[in-house]
Amino acid sequence: MNSLKVWLSRFGLVIALVVIGATMAVVHPAFLTWPNLLNVVRQISINGILAVGVTYVLLTGGVDLSLGSLVALTGVVAASFAHPGEYPVFVPVLLGVLAGTACGAVNGLVVTKGRVAPFIVTLGMMTVARGLALVISGGRPVSNLSEEFKWIGNGPVPILILVAVAIVSWVFLANLKLGRHIYAVGGNENAARASGINVERVKLFAYTVCGSLAGLAGVVLASRITTGQPNAGAGYELDAIAAVVIGGTSLSGGVGGVGGTILGALLMGVINNGLDLLNVSPYYQAIVKGIIIVGAVWLDRRKEKS
Amino acid sequence: MKRIIALVFVLALCGCEQSGEKRITIGVTLLNLSNEFIVMIHQAMEAKAKELGVKLIINDAQRSAERQVQQVESFIAQRVDAIILNPCEVEASAPAVDKALAAGIPIVNVNSETRTAPTAFVGSRDEESGRIAMDYLAKRLNSQGNVVMMHGFMGQAAQIKRDQGAREILAKNPGLKLLADQTGEWDRAKAMSLMENWIQSLGPKIKAVFAQNDEMAMGALLALEQAKMKDKVIVAGVDAIADALQAVKAGRLDATVFQDARGQGSGAVDVAVKIVKKQPYEKQVFIPFQLVTKENLGQYLK
Repeated sequence: MNSLKVWLSRFGLVIALVVIGATMAVVHPAFLTWPNLLNVVRQISINGILAVGVTYVLLTGGVDLSLGSLVALTGVVAASFAHPGEYPVFVPVLLGVLAGTACGAVNGLVVTKGRVAPFIVTLGMMTVARGLALVISGGRPVSNLSEEFKWIGNGPVPILILVAVAIVSWVFLANLKLGRHIYAVGGNENAARASGINVERVKLFAYTVCGSLAGLAGVVLASRITTGQPNAGAGYELDAIAAVVIGGTSLSGGVGGVGGTILGALLMGVINNGLDLLNVSPYYQAIVKGIIIVGAVWLDRRKEKS
Repeated sequence: MKRIIALVFVLALCGCEQSGEKRITIGVTLLNLSNEFIVMIHQAMEAKAKELGVKLIINDAQRSAERQVQQVESFIAQRVDAIILNPCEVEASAPAVDKALAAGIPIVNVNSETRTAPTAFVGSRDEESGRIAMDYLAKRLNSQGNVVMMHGFMGQAAQIKRDQGAREILAKNPGLKLLADQTGEWDRAKAMSLMENWIQSLGPKIKAVFAQNDEMAMGALLALEQAKMKDKVIVAGVDAIADALQAVKAGRLDATVFQDARGQGSGAVDVAVKIVKKQPYEKQVFIPFQLVTKENLGQYLK
C-alpha cells in the first residue's frame, strides 16, 4: 500500500481532528495559540515515540506489552548515569537506548527462536523489566540529574525527537526493502516466507527497533520529569497501541503506517488538552475521552468502506 | 512413610506448643513495594521487628486487593500470630480483615482503612493533610486568590479525604476560589501535562497549586518553572518524599506535608506484638501530619 493511499484512507481521522480542533478553538481562546499547540505536541512526544516503535511490531502481526515497563527501566538506567559532573550527557542517553534495544532484542529472539506467542513473551518482559527497574533503583526514584540531561525533555527538544523518529520511520517503512518486508510478513507470513523473505530476521528487527524507541522514550520521560521513576510508564503500552490502532494500523498486521500513528497520537493529545482546558470534571473526562476515540475511529472506518 | 511424616509433624507441633517462648511471627501484606512511601513503611517495620525479636513474613500485594486477600488467606493457613494489613482498597480489601478475625488471628491495619474495623489501626488522618496544605496556601495568600487542585486517582481513600480536608479550608475562606480541579493520577508526568494545560487556559490567574501528593506537586513545579511562572505561584504537596524535601531545601517547592512512614511502620509492629502478648494497646493510633517548609526543614532531611 503506498503512502498516499494510507493518508487518504485516514481522511476520516483528519476530519475528526479538524472538527475537534475547530470546536476547541471556538470554545476556548487559549486552544489555538502557538504555545498551546506546541504544548500538545510536546505532551504527545513520549506516547508518539512509543507508538511509532510499536507500529513496527503491530505491522508484523505481533504485539508489545512491555513498553511501559521498558520506559521505567530505561529511564532508571539513564538517570543512574546522569548525575551532575559524572559522565558526558551522551552516556546516559546511549545506555538508556541500549537497555531498551537489548530488551527488545530479547523479546524478538524469544518470539522467533523460542516460538512463544508475542503476547506472552512481552507480558513476561513487562514484569521482568519492571522488576529490573526496581532492583536497579532500590525502589526509589533516581533524581539529582544534570542540567544537560534535563535539556533533552524540555522546550522543543522532545518535539524534534518525535519528528525525527516519525520521518525516519515513515521513509523506512514506506520505501526501503526491509520496511516493505515488514508489511509482507504481517500481511501473509507464509507467502512472505515462500517469496524468500527471512521472516524471523524481519520480526527480530521489528521488536528490536520497538525496544530502542522505548529506550529513547524512557530517556525523554526521565529528563522531562527530572527523575528516573521505577514505577513510571504504567499503562503506556496501551496508550501507544491505542494511538497506532486509532491511526488505522491493523492489529493483525500488514496494513497501516506511521502517518496514521502520528494522527492517532495527536488525536489523543488534543482530547486530553481540550478536556483540561475546558476543566471537564475528572469523573466525566474518562467517559468523554472513550466516546470521542471510538467515535473518531468509527467515522474513519466508515469512510474507508464507502 | 506417611505415618512417620505425620508423627514427626505432630511431634513438631507439640514441640511448638510446649516451648511457650516461641518466636512471634507476623504476616505482613503491603499495598505496593514499588512505591517509595510503602518502602519506607516496610523498612521501619523490619527495624522494629528486629528490635522486638519477632519474625515478619512480607508479601507485596502489588496494588491488587484480590491478591491481598489471598495473601491473608495463606497467612491464616500458616497460623501466623498476627497479621498487618496495608490495604489496597477500602472495600475490596475488607474481606481480608473479615477472614482474619473469623480465624481468630488479630489483624492491624496500617496507613489506610478498610470498611470492616480491624483489631487495631495505625495510620494518619488523610483529611488532616489536605487541611494543613490548603491552610498553608490560605495563609500565604492572605485568604484571597485563585487556587487549583490536583487529585490523586479518583475514588481512592487518600484522594477522597485529602479533597475533603482541602475543601473544609476552602469553605472557611470565601476569598479563596477553586479555579479548577482535575486528576493527575498521583503521577508526575501526568501532573506536568495538566499544569501545562492549566497554564494555557488560566495562566496568570493561578496563584497557588495544591497537589494531593508530592509526585504531582513536583510535576506542577516543573511545568511552572519552564513557563517562568514559579515566582508567582505557590505550590504545596503531601508526603514529604525525598525529592520534594530537596525541592523545599532549594527554595523551589513551597511546602509539603510530612506523613510519618517510619512512625506508622514501627507503630504497627509494636501494636501487633502487644496484642499477641496480651498487653494493653490502643485500638486507634493516629500519627500526626506535619507541615514542612524551608523554616523547619532540617528535622525532616535525614
